Amino acid sequence: MEKAADFHYNAEQNYDEETIIQQREIEKEIAGCQDLVGPKEDFTTLDREFEHDVAFLKKIQDVKQRYRRFRRIRADGNCFFRAFGFAYFESLLKNPDEFKRFQDIALKSKDELITLGFPQFTLEDFHETFMQELNKIETNKSIEGVLQTFNDCGTSDYIVVYLRLIVSGFLQKNEDFYQSFLDGGRTMREFCNQEVEPMGRESDHIHIIALSQATGICVQVDYMDRGDGNLISHVFPEDSSPSIYLLYKPGHYDILYKE
Amino acid sequence: MAGAAVKRLMAEYKQLTLNPPEGIVAGPQDEENYFEWEALIMGPEGTCFEGGVFPAKLTFPNDYPLSPPQMRFTCDLFHPNIYPDGRVCISILHAPGDDPLGYESSAERWSPVQSVEKILLSVVSMLAEPNDESAANVDAAKCWRDDRKLFEERAKKSVRKSLNL
Repeated sequence: MEKAADFHYNAEQNYDEETIIQQREIEKEIAGCQDLVGPKEDFTTLDREFEHDVAFLKKIQDVKQRYRRFRRIRADGNCFFRAFGFAYFESLLKNPDEFKRFQDIALKSKDELITLGFPQFTLEDFHETFMQELNKIETNKSIEGVLQTFNDCGTSDYIVVYLRLIVSGFLQKNEDFYQSFLDGGRTMREFCNQEVEPMGRESDHIHIIALSQATGICVQVDYMDRGDGNLISHVFPEDSSPSIYLLYKPGHYDILYKE
Repeated sequence: MAGAAVKRLMAEYKQLTLNPPEGIVAGPQDEENYFEWEALIMGPEGTCFEGGVFPAKLTFPNDYPLSPPQMRFTCDLFHPNIYPDGRVCISILHAPGDDPLGYESSAERWSPVQSVEKILLSVVSMLAEPNDESAANVDAAKCWRDDRKLFEERAKKSVRKSLNL
């Protein structure tokens, strides 16, 4: 691309291809300076990030009262799925009963998705990788192993894809109920094709509800926003006891830890 | 990552060989390099492209199927959704958010469960039903809209050329 100073906009020209190339370059830059899943840390860097922002600093105080540590997740549009996946796999290290319950659900999920019309041969790779990495928890039982899985780009992304497919399958199966949450007159199939299945599409409430319902995993999200008052928390599904905690800052999810 | 892509592309090639969709032949240029494919697309029956056999190249990224391939016809094709240099511009070749020409909100997008077969079938539909709303070749779109007879003549010329007549 030309340098900004020499740039003259030409209305006749289509800049979309160049825009896409530039977006890819920005993504590469982000990838170069941030782990997919970062180390557990205290809130010092969070304070620094928002040091000139009074509204957020107050919310960070609330966060500190409720949690001890957090883990940053790369901001690539997949952060909700990656944070959810990692935090849950990590929680399974200490919970063999829950591991068995989930292993059974994950095993059966493939046939359910095929019944819903997902093509078997495009689904298989993602399911295989997902099961292989899940099963490592039982044999390996180390946080280093889970970190390695989620920081290996290919493996990590395949897990994200499979979680996305679980959400897509759940929403299509329960279309009658969830259809009313969609705006813009899209069908559930269109919504899933455009907002759930593709990598990099950000998650909304509907993705979170669907993933927690489909997997029976309870997640609490603490919302940091500019609003007055205290930090607001939502538990999905309502009235259950969370096994993982996520921090939401506008457009992004990280993982929170009570200890 | 590239290993996963090769595994998937091998599976897709096998699938396309065992159950070839009508009017489509596709596979890797040579079995050493699964990231470059050649495809032959027959012009759909009952359209002005009928009888043509149009060669194209598909180029897959290292992170396929997380990202879509690019497709380029290597023959002359005057069509609203094909750039003058042969690149195919349809919604399934783009993830949502990558919006070169502002596709309709209902348009099918790339996601990791799509496949080469789905792309090629979409390309056949595109030949049969050009979309002049999101034109990659503005002249072809204008011609399709305003002078259908001339468009059909140019299409037939592409057909003859594709058969080396």
